Amino acid sequence: MAVPLRFRLNHEDVEVHVQDPASTLLDLLRNDLGLTGTKSGCAIGYCGACTVIVDGRAVPSCLQLVGLLEGREVRTIEDLSGPDGLDPVQTAFVTCAGMQCGFCTPGHVMALRALLDQEPEPDEERLRQTVDGNYCRCTGYVKILDSAREAVSLQKSLTGEAR
Amino acid sequence: MSTTHAPVPGLPRERDVLPPVIGSAVQRIDAVEKVTGRASYAADTRIPRMLHAAVVRSPHAHARVLAVDTSRAARVPGVHAVITGADTAQVKWGAFRPDLYPLAVERVRYVGDEVAAVAAIDLETARYAAELIRVEYEVLPAVLDLDAALADGAPLVHDDAPGNLAHEFAFDRGGAREWLERSDVVVEGVWQSTRQWHGSIETIGCTAEWSQDRVTMWVNTQTPFLARQRYATALGLPLRAVRVVQTEIGGGFGGKSGDDNTSVICAILARKTGRPVQLVNTREEEFLASRPRIPMRYHVRLGFTSDGLVTAKEIDLVADNGAYTGKAQAVLGAATVRHDALFTYRAVKARSRLVYTNLVPTGAFRGFGNPSADWAVGQAWDLAATRLGIEVPDLFLLNAVESGSVSPHNHRISSCELKQCIRRAAAAIGWYDKRAAPTPHRGLAMGVSVHVSGRRSFGDYDGSSAIVRLTEDGRAAVIIGEGEIGTGARTTLAQIAAAELGLAVADISVSRPDTDLTTHALGALASRVTYVAGNAVKQAAERACEQLLAAAARQTGRPAAELWVEDGHVHAPAMPGEDTPLRQPVGTVVRAELYRPGGEPIVGLGSFDNPSEFPDQLRYGNESGAYNFVAEAAEVEVDPATGAVTVLELAAAVDCGTVLNPPLAEGQVEGAIAQGLGMALTERFDWDGGAPTRPNFVDYKMPTAGVMPKLHVEFADSYEPTGPFGAKGVGEIALDPVPSIVASAVADAVGVRVHELPITAEKIFWGIRTGSTTPPEQAGPGGLSESAEPAPPDRPAPPRDRAPGEER
Repeated sequence: MAVPLRFRLNHEDVEVHVQDPASTLLDLLRNDLGLTGTKSGCAIGYCGACTVIVDGRAVPSCLQLVGLLEGREVRTIEDLSGPDGLDPVQTAFVTCAGMQCGFCTPGHVMALRALLDQEPEPDEERLRQTVDGNYCRCTGYVKILDSAREAVSLQKSLTGEAR
Repeated sequence: MSTTHAPVPGLPRERDVLPPVIGSAVQRIDAVEKVTGRASYAADTRIPRMLHAAVVRSPHAHARVLAVDTSRAARVPGVHAVITGADTAQVKWGAFRPDLYPLAVERVRYVGDEVAAVAAIDLETARYAAELIRVEYEVLPAVLDLDAALADGAPLVHDDAPGNLAHEFAFDRGGAREWLERSDVVVEGVWQSTRQWHGSIETIGCTAEWSQDRVTMWVNTQTPFLARQRYATALGLPLRAVRVVQTEIGGGFGGKSGDDNTSVICAILARKTGRPVQLVNTREEEFLASRPRIPMRYHVRLGFTSDGLVTAKEIDLVADNGAYTGKAQAVLGAATVRHDALFTYRAVKARSRLVYTNLVPTGAFRGFGNPSADWAVGQAWDLAATRLGIEVPDLFLLNAVESGSVSPHNHRISSCELKQCIRRAAAAIGWYDKRAAPTPHRGLAMGVSVHVSGRRSFGDYDGSSAIVRLTEDGRAAVIIGEGEIGTGARTTLAQIAAAELGLAVADISVSRPDTDLTTHALGALASRVTYVAGNAVKQAAERACEQLLAAAARQTGRPAAELWVEDGHVHAPAMPGEDTPLRQPVGTVVRAELYRPGGEPIVGLGSFDNPSEFPDQLRYGNESGAYNFVAEAAEVEVDPATGAVTVLELAAAVDCGTVLNPPLAEGQVEGAIAQGLGMALTERFDWDGGAPTRPNFVDYKMPTAGVMPKLHVEFADSYEPTGPFGAKGVGEIALDPVPSIVASAVADAVGVRVHELPITAEKIFWGIRTGSTTPPEQAGPGGLSESAEPAPPDRPAPPRDRAPGEER
């Protein structure tokens, strides 16, 4: 029997009917809502490829049960860019060659987005800790860390302009 | 526009006048798609009415399949098909030695072997139904390691492979034994490398759909055309019945080069159901049934004169094929001969055997045997330097190949900056300063390696072809079947086309492989795309440009020789009596060439075959037209209380010819080093009954950002005369020496030499305490534990007045 579920997804109210409250947000996004930007890498919450933002925190969507989503706020990679262009974190990855195959990139971008939302000026150690939570098998992380630093300075300059 | 590589007296060489787009940090053409999540990988393919699939795998390392009962699974609502070996063509397939059925016929040969499969309305239903399939097995004796497989009377993995030998060869080039007998110093040892999984964050996957008698397969394969050939064989179909289209690929490293059954099973299910079917490996399946790196055991003997000149090398190599061969046979060849193109050996002797076991089949992985060869031979060189009392970089410089060298296997080295790489890596790590002032528990090591730029392997052709079509809106479409696995190959090909055409990179598109639509291509393997495909694209662009200029000449009544293309426009100086020079948009010229009676498109075809030789059965032959080189130096620190290793710094100096795009080339080196560090230090499983006990990322630890050392990446000043704008391959080389230099640096730090990968704290801990890297309760005959080496102080410090990296 399907259970109705209401939550905010990328700034819109959504209502879905889920068969199994113990199914995952990852499957809901990819299979039912057609949002395939969030990737599945291990299904056990280890690799970080499926990272989304729930109530402001980066979480692995493969471990987020849909039954616990009622009334919560979810952001996915699809929310970060739009007609106005890219999020500063995305721009930083583009300009710093922060991806190769790109499969882990949405997860890295979301993890850094969540960090910068909480701490606009994280130090090197915080950046490293955040990137450390997501696997990348291509880059050796050098250019992902470059991207993370660039994202901080880009966001800072944009915030400065906004003022 | 045709380019000659021969230097013309009085004119600058091509390398001195490279177009500005060559060597610049051009943004990847796929960057925005990837950061926004819009790039469509194998599991992102969506087709209406698409079903999902699950596979039933053997829980036994070796068993006879007595019966498969699919009746309960078939009755599950939502299940559309259940298949077993009986539903397949029952044809064995494989890249070199066909030995793999799409689904088991009579026997299973490793834990993970495919037995049956289900297609259903969704993944949950497919997996539920798969669990209801009952397979009756008669368990057979299994061979679970090399020694068991080679033992007299060992159970056979395949009845047609006596002695469990899948492949073997031997040679003696130059009389190695005699040279070794006459050598002043001979070092010897046994080294064992390890199974390493590619660990691509995206697993292997396929979506297949039939239309009449043809199947289209959207696959994340690195090698669509080679995969198509094998899939057709496995499906019992003519080649024309199979079309392969490459999706975005979330990491390849050799693991997605079409040797496993996933895509084949997917296509069979799609035919049986009459609907599109998607099958994507779970992470567990990726560990159980993909094709990891081949564990290899080398017995190495190396001879030198007392003043440090290498004489000869002898190796005896046994390699763990696992249950099926795939590309392991070709890997064995590279693992046996490639590293002989590094040093000026007088003679080399080898015996190499590829051995079937009832373990996961092994195959191609970045480095293609080289990391295992370097693990053994590189450490033997390090031992030799200690014995000879010569610093490792100096010993390398004494013996390194140069441009013009020819290896005992006829590898003909064209461009070679190996010596420059050795000096630069030594300088970058501060070799001589650190040697002069050693820090306790810290150690230094250096290693070198050589790789190909394409390898003649799949028949007597290692070429590529490309079509460059100039469009009526003034852009260029590069049509080529090579593809993209994440390295940025399509971006560098766009740079090459842009440089030849005088267009901006933003105005170049590069196709993805589609076996119906693009040129034939061997794909992304053997570090070949930049060199081989780059040359093909360069020629196609040159020819399109010639046609464009000829068209513009006809349209404007000027001689073609006066015309050139720049900034998207055809230019010419002002005609006599006119004020303004000609400046015509490329698109205008293309349109004018089309829109006239008898109009024609502007399309250039380019082709390039690697100037290499197809090696013979004994691996004699110049396997590539260009070789790339690396020297890497590492400094490690060992905690003597625990044996834990920290890699502090790693310097890599790479000769890949002209660097077409520095950030992309750096990324290849940085990523390869990370993968090499994983192989060196952490990537392993606990095994039981022929399978990893927990085949997931929690047990199999790959490097994260937090454990990466400080990296120094440099590129040699180098130019390959046969490469596109002087470029060679760079995709694999930097992985190769990493495990060996970590081991040698640990030996330098604490005097413990690890002979079996990975280099764990436990091995070093016991090595420090007992002189053997094997824990006391596990010590037994036949192991690889070695006595501790002489303590580091035996190694002479270099004179302080010598300049870093100075050649002697």
